[in-house]
Amino acid sequence: MVDFFVGSTLRYFYFHQKNGERFRTTYDLESTTADILIFGSSRANHHYHPAVFEERLHESCRNVGRDGNFILYSDAILKGILKRHTPKVVILDVVAEEFMINQYNYDNLTVLLPYYKGHPEMREIIALKSPTEKIKLISQIYPFNSLLLSIAIGNTDFNKNKRPDINGYLPLTKKLNEPIEFNDLPVSYEVDSTKLKMYESFIRDCKKSNIKLIIVCSPYYNKFNEPIYSIALAKKIALKNNIPFFDYSKDPFFTSKPNLFSDKIHLNDEGARIFSNMLVDQIENELTKNHF
Amino acid sequence: MLFNSFHFVFFFFIVTSLYFTIPHPWRWLLLLASSCYFYMAFVPIYILILGFTIIIDYFAGIYIENAEGKRRKLFLIFSLIANIGVLAVFKYYNFINTNLSFLLHGFALENPIPYLSILLPIGLSFHTFQAMSYTIEVYRGHQKAERHFGIYSLYVMFYPQLVAGPIERPQNLLHQFREPHEFDYDRVVGGLKLMLWGIFKKLVIADRLSIYVNATYNNADQHNGTTLLLATIFFAFQIYCDFSGYSDIAIGSAKVMGFKLMTNFNRPYFARNISEFWKRWHISLSTWFKDYLYISLGGNKVSVPRWYFNLFFVFLVSGLWHGANWTYIIWGALNGFYLVFAIMTQGVRNKINDITGIHHLPKFHHALQILTTFALSCFAWVFFRANNVNDAFTIIGKIFTLPGPLFYESASELIYPFASILLLLAVELKNEFYKGDFSFFNNKNWVVRLGSYTMLIIIILVIGVFDGGQFIYFQF
Repeated sequence: MVDFFVGSTLRYFYFHQKNGERFRTTYDLESTTADILIFGSSRANHHYHPAVFEERLHESCRNVGRDGNFILYSDAILKGILKRHTPKVVILDVVAEEFMINQYNYDNLTVLLPYYKGHPEMREIIALKSPTEKIKLISQIYPFNSLLLSIAIGNTDFNKNKRPDINGYLPLTKKLNEPIEFNDLPVSYEVDSTKLKMYESFIRDCKKSNIKLIIVCSPYYNKFNEPIYSIALAKKIALKNNIPFFDYSKDPFFTSKPNLFSDKIHLNDEGARIFSNMLVDQIENELTKNHF
Repeated sequence: MLFNSFHFVFFFFIVTSLYFTIPHPWRWLLLLASSCYFYMAFVPIYILILGFTIIIDYFAGIYIENAEGKRRKLFLIFSLIANIGVLAVFKYYNFINTNLSFLLHGFALENPIPYLSILLPIGLSFHTFQAMSYTIEVYRGHQKAERHFGIYSLYVMFYPQLVAGPIERPQNLLHQFREPHEFDYDRVVGGLKLMLWGIFKKLVIADRLSIYVNATYNNADQHNGTTLLLATIFFAFQIYCDFSGYSDIAIGSAKVMGFKLMTNFNRPYFARNISEFWKRWHISLSTWFKDYLYISLGGNKVSVPRWYFNLFFVFLVSGLWHGANWTYIIWGALNGFYLVFAIMTQGVRNKINDITGIHHLPKFHHALQILTTFALSCFAWVFFRANNVNDAFTIIGKIFTLPGPLFYESASELIYPFASILLLLAVELKNEFYKGDFSFFNNKNWVVRLGSYTMLIIIILVIGVFDGGQFIYFQF
């Protein structure tokens, strides 16, 4: 009874947040009606400036990328959004380690626990977090574990004043000033088959809903071994499904300009605007080519 | 199997229910089978190592008891060599080899001895020490050799304390396996309360603090002294709550079934000197070293320099017991140094107290002693937690020379840890200084009792860390 009461109180305040990361996810799932949606991790969140897309493609755009979350999260969020809204274009940003085995990616599904109850279509993915997740979720408090403070802050204007977002996009301001380094990612490794399945499921869901899907690997300020295994794999699957794949991971324009980066894997606001414009050029070509 | 996993919740419920259901003569078998399952949930193959030491020590105990004269000692030495040999191979072989390579490298020589590609069996040092205490006690005539192979195996393998203690003595534990334990509501509730408090310490405090400690200690070169100082204080509470939390769950789960395990922690951060600290911290190990090593070396009934050596040596070995790494050895040596230094300077410190008149302010003096002891233990914890000796010296250097703003990514990284430490200190302060007064868990009013359990469970659910992983002491 106490669990129900405390859990319900936390749920109420969680879904009444006015700003912050958790509010953005709730808004993405429950409210967005944007024509263009951008999915992915922090790299998606900080690299794709919705205003550029809106201005040049004359369609509404929202960035639904989230720090520390990759294809598992993206697929769950897409499924959640498709339940009530079908965007025209979806852009999925993939990262160099996308299909690597990493428990951290599953642990991070914690961010979706508050949505387990209201989104049956996401449950299968959320349950990947651990074999006992369904049992833990009997508790009404558990989905809001460790969120007490952020729920309290999210119900104030603190985040809004401190770090406002632009249709989900969060600009980074720092400018990098150091020489490019070598990223020692192996050229081949055991792939996480679940993540691969989620990637294929993401493509399938877009196709089924007649959404124009574009998959992108955005710029890095790193040198890599050849090939970048996950990117090569993502590209192969995309092309097999006739999905355009744009790879900027080694784009010399960006690898020669550290001042466009906030750190080695994230563009700053200036870099994000330039990259977004370059991507829109390619998307325009793609849309024209396919008479979209 | 981790105590903080759902796997254990099911396991504990099933084993305890069966324990009280089946007749007493078969209970040892149930406990032995469930202990095997518990251990094999980690790395199944390593049960063979346990099996090896159990067989050796079982027969060694009987032979020691039956033999006379020098043969008794011979059997004891054989048993000790077998146990220490297992430790040497699995825990220290690669460490010794690495240091040998380093030495030979100094003479431009290659080390021809290959490295072993093996994992350290979970809790090896704990059950090896428990097994050794059996043969030593049989040798000393304090314990009769156990003839029942199953019961002896259970003594080594009893699941609540198998992988991280308390390291029991045969006189305390063996006879308990023969005693019929009836279901006693008050005892069962008492055990469950202790388990709940242990889970709170692990999930709410230790695992919460570990987030900050890992983020800073694993990137020590990127953080300033203020941040590293806070991380060190956090680590002091992390390791205390991690290990004493484990002990509480172990003692509590044994208590539910009617077994009484020894106390392992007694609010160590209220100790007024390092000697007292070691009487309150990991008591089962401290007393093990005292009973079987320190006293064997002559204890304090020797010349003063030899007494100092005995103290220092025991702590050096204690450091090595914790891990095959120079960081642990330095940690042990530091604690040994603290103790020897405290004895050497006792007279001078008494004079200082007289001159300053601090003993006329007993509460202030007491608090100062507690804080000094805590600071000394924190200084030593730097070596215990640092990834290597270089990191430890970097951290210490920065703490003393590089102040700066505190690192945190979100306010919750600091607020939750501070709140949980304050809660812990409040409870421990009450238990240390106001023992007979008001109690939440044992209150006569059932509403207060129920309210306090409920509140603790709610706190665990709201701010506990559920992806925290294993206990620190498992690796030893």
